[in-house]
Amino acid sequence: MGKYFGWLSVFQGLEIGVGVFSKAWKMVLVLLIAALPAPAQVRVVKGGSAKATIDWSRLVATGGAATEFKRVLEDDLIHSGWFTPAAPGGAEFSLVGAAQESGALNATIQFASVIQRQWLLSKQYTAESGAARRLAHKVADEILAAIGRKGMFSGRIVMIGTHSGAKELYVCDMDGGNLSQITHDNNICLGPHWAPDGNRLTYTAFLKRYPDVYLIDLAARSRRVVASYPGMNSGGAISPDGTLVALILSKDGYQALYVRALNGGVPVRLTEGSRAALASPCWSPDGSHLVYVSDQASTAHPQLYVISRSGGAPRRLTSRGSQNVAPSWGANGLITYASLQGRFQVCVLDPNTLDSKVVTPGDADYEDPSWAPDGRHIICSRTAGYRSRIYLLDTLGDSPVALSEFSGDWYSPSVTAK
Amino acid sequence: MQSKRWMMLMAMGLVCVVALSGCKKKTTSGNAGDNGIGGVTGTDVNGTGLGNRPDLGATEMAGQFVPVYFDYDSAQVKESERSKVETVAEQLKKASGGGVIVEGHCDERGSREYNLSLGERRAQAVRAYLMTLSVDAARIQTKSMGKEKPVALGHDEESWAKNRRVEFVLFK
Repeated sequence: MGKYFGWLSVFQGLEIGVGVFSKAWKMVLVLLIAALPAPAQVRVVKGGSAKATIDWSRLVATGGAATEFKRVLEDDLIHSGWFTPAAPGGAEFSLVGAAQESGALNATIQFASVIQRQWLLSKQYTAESGAARRLAHKVADEILAAIGRKGMFSGRIVMIGTHSGAKELYVCDMDGGNLSQITHDNNICLGPHWAPDGNRLTYTAFLKRYPDVYLIDLAARSRRVVASYPGMNSGGAISPDGTLVALILSKDGYQALYVRALNGGVPVRLTEGSRAALASPCWSPDGSHLVYVSDQASTAHPQLYVISRSGGAPRRLTSRGSQNVAPSWGANGLITYASLQGRFQVCVLDPNTLDSKVVTPGDADYEDPSWAPDGRHIICSRTAGYRSRIYLLDTLGDSPVALSEFSGDWYSPSVTAK
Repeated sequence: MQSKRWMMLMAMGLVCVVALSGCKKKTTSGNAGDNGIGGVTGTDVNGTGLGNRPDLGATEMAGQFVPVYFDYDSAQVKESERSKVETVAEQLKKASGGGVIVEGHCDERGSREYNLSLGERRAQAVRAYLMTLSVDAARIQTKSMGKEKPVALGHDEESWAKNRRVEFVLFK
């Protein structure tokens, strides 16, 4: 309310001049406050978030896979944002254990709160040597759960990379490791988005020379068409219950947001006919609403709108920034999106209050944000000097971190829900 | 007098509302608002559905016509570009059968997914104009390539202007 008081004192000065504080003044003040521009947008103060100290000097690894396990586990605990490594003596938490490789990978983990003099996690793990990374991610999430925090390391990222010389889909872990190439189409693709089950994903590809939406099943190693109507097919956002898909289609001569059963049927149109460009539909966590991009207010100045899954009047969410695009609606109820404010910045918006905050430092173009499963971090692309890489952002103040580097451009990331 | 004071209060209030809401911009499109061909509130808003795409085996001929170019914040066919569309319409009306794919493109700036849709808007605007020139709706396909297929690779307005285009591909 601080910024409103300045205006109130100006009016009070006027009222002294007029000489009367009448009912009419009160009404005008109410009207003026109602007409004041957009809700607050706060810039996150940088300097890092609060962290607990952890001593892992007595976590010992013997053998190649065990050493990889230890390194990935330690990196995960640092990237979680909740821990910072400390020397023995004085640390709040201790991580003791041994990992060795003898055929399989065996790890004994004992994680304790030094202050409370209490073991929080004491467990033995076994995995194939080739699964050292996956085991490390699992242990990291279990350590975080032991201090009451949700981890993000079970998540996987799908993204587009030009590493092979063409645009293809790749999947990797939350630390950028375990990279694997999913498509080998040597064709144009864009907009990959995970299905809620984290085993399937949709994307838009030009396999038949037009933009069509496809569904890839990673486990079955199969791909099928989801939408190949005349004109443009894009979006491909699968609902949280896995049964519906939201699509942007132009088959009826104008672009609109449609919802249809994933496996087929007649698409139901949600938005009114208009010549606007619509893009990037994304479901709310409970499946009751969709956020999407539309330039109906001004061409080339797209904004975010929210609409009920049964249609009706859309509600505009954004006002700041000349373009607001690429929304991702997290299980935490917040929407992260890219906002053109000079450069592209990643923002986080509360759809109930419309308050938003910027979570990127403004030194490059940050785009295509996607919530990590911990509801605290965001994966996005960062483009500087026309080269793009995948970055990890923190909504609690830690600086952006680049994920592993491979040659080529990497962009349009999407993270699994869990 | 009561009514005069009331009018003065409301006038001051109005001035303040206008000053405070100055951040909200109206459309900045340079073509007489968004009411032109392909504009958001343009004619034919309800649209005429697209016919089936030509078969993958159909003969396609690109490069027969000059592309239509667009301003940055526009998906409308400028007056200066209309004759290019008229040339295509004449060609289509001479030959029966077949049709044209209207291919929309954007410059490199901004979200890929939004640019796919903006390219489709540009294609739709050209299709709408072809239809006002009496080309049958069923003969016109739209295809957007978004910002994925630039013809000019520079990172400057000269290249961007060449990439904001609609191309025509005849098919039989």
